[in-house]
Amino acid sequence: MATDNANADGFGEVSRVRGIVFEYLSLGASVFGLVALGVLLVYVAIDAFDLANASPEWLLTYFLTLVVPFLAFCLYSADDAAVTRRALGALGGGLVAVAALFTAIEALVVPIPRLNWQLAYLFVVAAPVTAYLAYVGSGGRVGAVGFGLLGRLVGGVAVGLAAGTLFLVFDPLLWFLAYTLGVLPAVGLYALGRLRSSPRAQTATVPVGLVGLVAAAFLREVVATYPSDLLIYLWTIAIPVAAAGALLVGDRRGRTAAVAVGGAPLVVATAGGFLASSAGLPAPTVLLVLVLTGVPTAVYVSRVVDAGEGLAGLGLPFLLAGGVIAGALVVQTFGFPTPEPWLDGSFLTAAPSRTPTDAGLYPAIVGSVIIIALVAVLSFALGVGTSVFLEEYTPGTGPLGTLTRILQVNVANLAAVPSVVYGLLGLGLFANLLGLGIGTAVTAALTLSLLILPITIISAQEAIRSVPDDLRRGSDAMGATRWQTTKNVVLPEAMPGILTGTILALGRAIGETAPLIMIGAATTVFRAPDSLFSRFSAMPMQIYTWAGFPQADFRYGVVAAGVITLLIILVGMNGTAILLRNRAERGS
Amino acid sequence: MSNTTSDDSLITTEVQADSNDDRAAPAAGTAVAARDLDVFYGDEQAIDDVTMEIPEKRVTALIGPSGCGKSTFLRCINRMNDMIEICRVEGDVEFGGKNVYDGDVDPVALRRKIGMVFQKPNPFPKSIRDNVAYGLKIQGFDGDVDARVEESLKGAALWDEVKDQLDSSGLELSGGQQQRLCIARAIAPDPEVILMDEPTSALDPVAASKIEDLIDDLAEEYTVIIVTHNMQQAARISDRTAVFLTGGELVEYDDTAKIFEDPEEQRVEDYITGKFG
Repeated sequence: MATDNANADGFGEVSRVRGIVFEYLSLGASVFGLVALGVLLVYVAIDAFDLANASPEWLLTYFLTLVVPFLAFCLYSADDAAVTRRALGALGGGLVAVAALFTAIEALVVPIPRLNWQLAYLFVVAAPVTAYLAYVGSGGRVGAVGFGLLGRLVGGVAVGLAAGTLFLVFDPLLWFLAYTLGVLPAVGLYALGRLRSSPRAQTATVPVGLVGLVAAAFLREVVATYPSDLLIYLWTIAIPVAAAGALLVGDRRGRTAAVAVGGAPLVVATAGGFLASSAGLPAPTVLLVLVLTGVPTAVYVSRVVDAGEGLAGLGLPFLLAGGVIAGALVVQTFGFPTPEPWLDGSFLTAAPSRTPTDAGLYPAIVGSVIIIALVAVLSFALGVGTSVFLEEYTPGTGPLGTLTRILQVNVANLAAVPSVVYGLLGLGLFANLLGLGIGTAVTAALTLSLLILPITIISAQEAIRSVPDDLRRGSDAMGATRWQTTKNVVLPEAMPGILTGTILALGRAIGETAPLIMIGAATTVFRAPDSLFSRFSAMPMQIYTWAGFPQADFRYGVVAAGVITLLIILVGMNGTAILLRNRAERGS
Repeated sequence: MSNTTSDDSLITTEVQADSNDDRAAPAAGTAVAARDLDVFYGDEQAIDDVTMEIPEKRVTALIGPSGCGKSTFLRCINRMNDMIEICRVEGDVEFGGKNVYDGDVDPVALRRKIGMVFQKPNPFPKSIRDNVAYGLKIQGFDGDVDARVEESLKGAALWDEVKDQLDSSGLELSGGQQQRLCIARAIAPDPEVILMDEPTSALDPVAASKIEDLIDDLAEEYTVIIVTHNMQQAARISDRTAVFLTGGELVEYDDTAKIFEDPEEQRVEDYITGKFG
């Protein structure tokens, strides 16, 4: 076909139709899925917070006192005229567009249930713009300080609550002995070793700690009198946290600042703990929350003041708190009708009930938190251990190599086994054979660990395999043993990948219902579990049960509140894990 | 100094043995010796009956075409070949008068006395300080680590460039700096021998020449055995040169000047002048 003027009209065309069709089909499918999920979550949120009954005045009040100041803060932090223009344009244009579109659909096509254009504007325009501005604003120094402070406040409360929850089931007296005899001497010895750079003190750390722990286990039954719970938490957690905070600050700012940073939150927390105990609140948890929030916040504030940049950001928590208070005052003064959300304080702290308005999720939350904590520890330790063994220790050839390959194939297959089957295994193995009890927290934790173990192992193997061989050879050539190479080079480099896999797997474990039904977990319990062997319920179980109740209030309001709680806890947990992973990535 | 220029080669391989005469003269002790060494990868023979003695505190270069077994020979010395499952070694490699393939030799302990630098710089994803201190850490070094880190970085001619950023990652350095960091890492535990497997082949000429200068200095204190593809490099920096040819045969092993100016074997002359290989 090569004629003289073949190229006169260019070089001809190559068809890209299939590629373009594929591209837009994929895009369409993803967008459809995301939008469907988004609409579902919007409705769940509307039900959980009873927003359908929120009056426009109420919405406007909080929009003006809470959202607008926050947006202004973000814009001030971003300090970028283009962003400001774009954000104002989106907010204003969005208002017109949403109102017009919504009215048109309602008038011409079909009425939209439980949604008005104000709510639609809130979810479709205001929320994304707020998220975008929060992202942009956190890039500025002021915003970074503000979000950093907010993160420490929220994170401290969450970690304090989680730790308090765990101590509902773990024996605080045993912990007291273990800390006093094992952890404290070991840490002290390690610090001494670092200070004097004496490796002998550092190597003694592990044996001393182990001896202390074993001694604690034996002495638990022997020792007759113990200090009160509050004193135990003060001694084992509050004081060490305060001391660590003081040390962090003391290095750079001297003794006065260190005492202030460590001491002030400690005093407040102790006072709070004693006040709480006299007011009938769970005193140790109050103490934990106060000290875990106070000390990191104090350290952070001290650092920010030290750096002297973005001090205005420290006002963010006050801005938000002030917005809530101002909004409440306005609503009260003018008597605006307020919605009655299903998801409120009492939902989180009350036990399940026959009446929808009294129903609470507290025992199920405690059950889920305990199980997830156990699953995280078990599956991480077992998963990393197994994958290190499979990747680093077994040879590729010979009988052991064949065994490894068989193991590999089976691990991959196990990941595909339905969770009901794991439930059956848990029932047979842990509940009956090992006698850990039907429907107990420890049985559930072990079963769920088994369930996600294959996923953890496979992702950890993948992460370990992606560590370049150059690094291993480099370490080997330095005369490192295989263990030293694994511990010092391979695992630190693989850790971000391992954590990613574990996060995904834990997300699956927290939402599992089928294996819990198989091991006989209770659908509803009315008291939080107080030991690993007490009967428990988990959040997905409780939500599933509510969904089957005849009253509409249960099936819509209470279930929605439960779902939102579950999602918030899941997102919080994953967020923490992702923060940890990012830190591990930056460290390497 | 006679020039060995081949007329029919496109590349002028004009190589001159350098003036390493300051170290060349007095006979030194033997650091590493191979006796009747055969290495097989599966059925394939990679080294064929090699016997040679490598003097201490000298630079010995191993040259030869690709696949001639010179890297394999290097890895026999610190038993890194143990990591390759199909590799089988026969014969003796003596280090400090002891056959390293004896049953009672712990390869890990052996490697602590022999440093190694690889073709591609492979610093650990850790801080510069931790990279250099790595060997000290795993060997349970009981002295002043920071002083040793400084000493090693000075020994690797890197101290002045990195002294203000010891806590930043070793991966942030340039390729040549990374390779010198690897050298610092290798000399920090004070080994007796340093093995270098084509240490400059992944580097630009300026970085390579810095490493070459460094190798020259290292030979004051350490026995350096270097594998290289670059004959000019071998001629410039080494005191002794061993020429391996295909099949893992050690064809000629002599003073560098002799190899490059007046080799005994025709095959060696062909290889050096670029007619072969």
